[in-house]
Amino acid sequence: MTNAIEVHSVTRTYGRVRALDTVSFAVPEHSILGLLGRNGSGKTTIMSIIAGQDRPSSGQVDVLGHTPFEHAPTLAQISYVRDNQRYPDDYRLHHVLRIAPDFAPNWNCDVAEELTDGFRIPAKTPIKKLSRGQLSSIAIVLGLASRAPITLLDEPYLGLDVTARALFHRMLLHDYGQHPRTIVLSTHLIEESASLFDRVVILEQGGVAMNGDQDDVLASAWVMSGTKDAVAELVADRPVLQRNTVGGLTSITADFALDDATRIRARDLRVQFAPASLQDLVAAYGSSDTDSTDVKVAERA
Amino acid sequence: MISTTKLHFNKRELTLVVPLYITGMVAVISILISVLFWRGGSLPGTTGWIQGSQSNPGILYALVGFLVYLGVQSVATTFPFALTLGATRRGFAAGTLLWSVTVSAYLALAFAALTIIEIATDHWFAGFYIFDIYVLGAGDLGLLLPIVFLGVLSMLTIGGVFGASWMRFGARGPQLIGMSTAIVLVIALIVMIPAAEDIIAAFELWWLAVAAAVVIVVSAIGTWLLLRSASVR
Repeated sequence: MTNAIEVHSVTRTYGRVRALDTVSFAVPEHSILGLLGRNGSGKTTIMSIIAGQDRPSSGQVDVLGHTPFEHAPTLAQISYVRDNQRYPDDYRLHHVLRIAPDFAPNWNCDVAEELTDGFRIPAKTPIKKLSRGQLSSIAIVLGLASRAPITLLDEPYLGLDVTARALFHRMLLHDYGQHPRTIVLSTHLIEESASLFDRVVILEQGGVAMNGDQDDVLASAWVMSGTKDAVAELVADRPVLQRNTVGGLTSITADFALDDATRIRARDLRVQFAPASLQDLVAAYGSSDTDSTDVKVAERA
Repeated sequence: MISTTKLHFNKRELTLVVPLYITGMVAVISILISVLFWRGGSLPGTTGWIQGSQSNPGILYALVGFLVYLGVQSVATTFPFALTLGATRRGFAAGTLLWSVTVSAYLALAFAALTIIEIATDHWFAGFYIFDIYVLGAGDLGLLLPIVFLGVLSMLTIGGVFGASWMRFGARGPQLIGMSTAIVLVIALIVMIPAAEDIIAAFELWWLAVAAAVVIVVSAIGTWLLLRSASVR
């Protein structure tokens, strides 16, 4: 399978701030990548660079085999609406729907109409007066109706009600099934969108904390809980991403393969273990220290 | 480039109709002022009336503020959306310039048409001079067309470069351009003021056309250079 997007050692600095630090990953053609991480982890920055709206300070990004910045044929194949997208003064919905087909060669009016009706986007209200959810709805209309081979969705769920989120999922999967494309989706609603992802990249403080097929990523991630001593004995010196301790009980999120011997030992020590969810993993990577709960409990005491 | 030009024309009312609204409003105000003078004792058709009416440049100046705003918004609020749609920075700068040229030509032709009507109706059947005025060439279309075209294009491109400087440097951008321009103008005045009388005596109208052309070219190039490295806000 060829890669639609390749990110090679990309660093982006703004003055003294290092927003991205030697980030590398690839997105295979016709797959959905979940771009996850805490606020400020670099998700929007890398999406802007992939979309050709920004340039890396160092490193290289290839989209459909080309550097996207100022490359018109590549930019015509990309759809990217920012989570804080600005629109021209006094724009209304019809302005967006009228001009978008001029830039998006694959624009589909039926998809746009179905989404605008489904989301109930007000036609006569100026865009700058729309709610957060309605702004997200317009971004989704642009993202899906453009049917761009590279579709970047930046926090598409922001402010959307549950009905609108369900509509978005249904339309995304339906249209993706009929017109496969490469999709990068950043979100904080991980549980709700995890089923969409073929691959995930977890960013943490501008670097890649985890990158791979979702199944592979989750295969080695575990949540274990039990008494403090039992968990400590089981884990020994293996990597722990996050540790929550309350009194004598400990719960950890760990990233290592669980062999048969360890499983038997866990049973003997009465340590419960379960596969970590994607949300557990993202939360664990985003945690600033492995003893956060201990610290908080100690502070309260 | 063409897509960007179409993007600007997407707001048809703002681009094509509002300038005519403003022109119409100023025309009404000019007529009311003329009526005021009429009621005060001036007589339409007399030499004093014609000279006074033709000296009123209001119709041209009224558009300056709007045109500069139009130029600013053509970059400051449209650029991020154009990039979102897939425009290149180069294509956006070129498409915006093409849009500015088209709007300038449209307004020049509109003013020419209104001037022709004004002269054909013997100044709206009542001796009102709205477009047949000195700053627009006093009814000479050979002067009116380049005056309006270059004037409008200057305002739009000046607005554009201010918008681009805001995109590139935030609030400091327009301040920087404003301060730099003021300093250059003051230094130019300091250099030229001893020879001011000679310069005024030798003044030719085409100097203004050259000055406008320089402003347009510098502003358009400046817009492109600023947008080339601007962050999307």
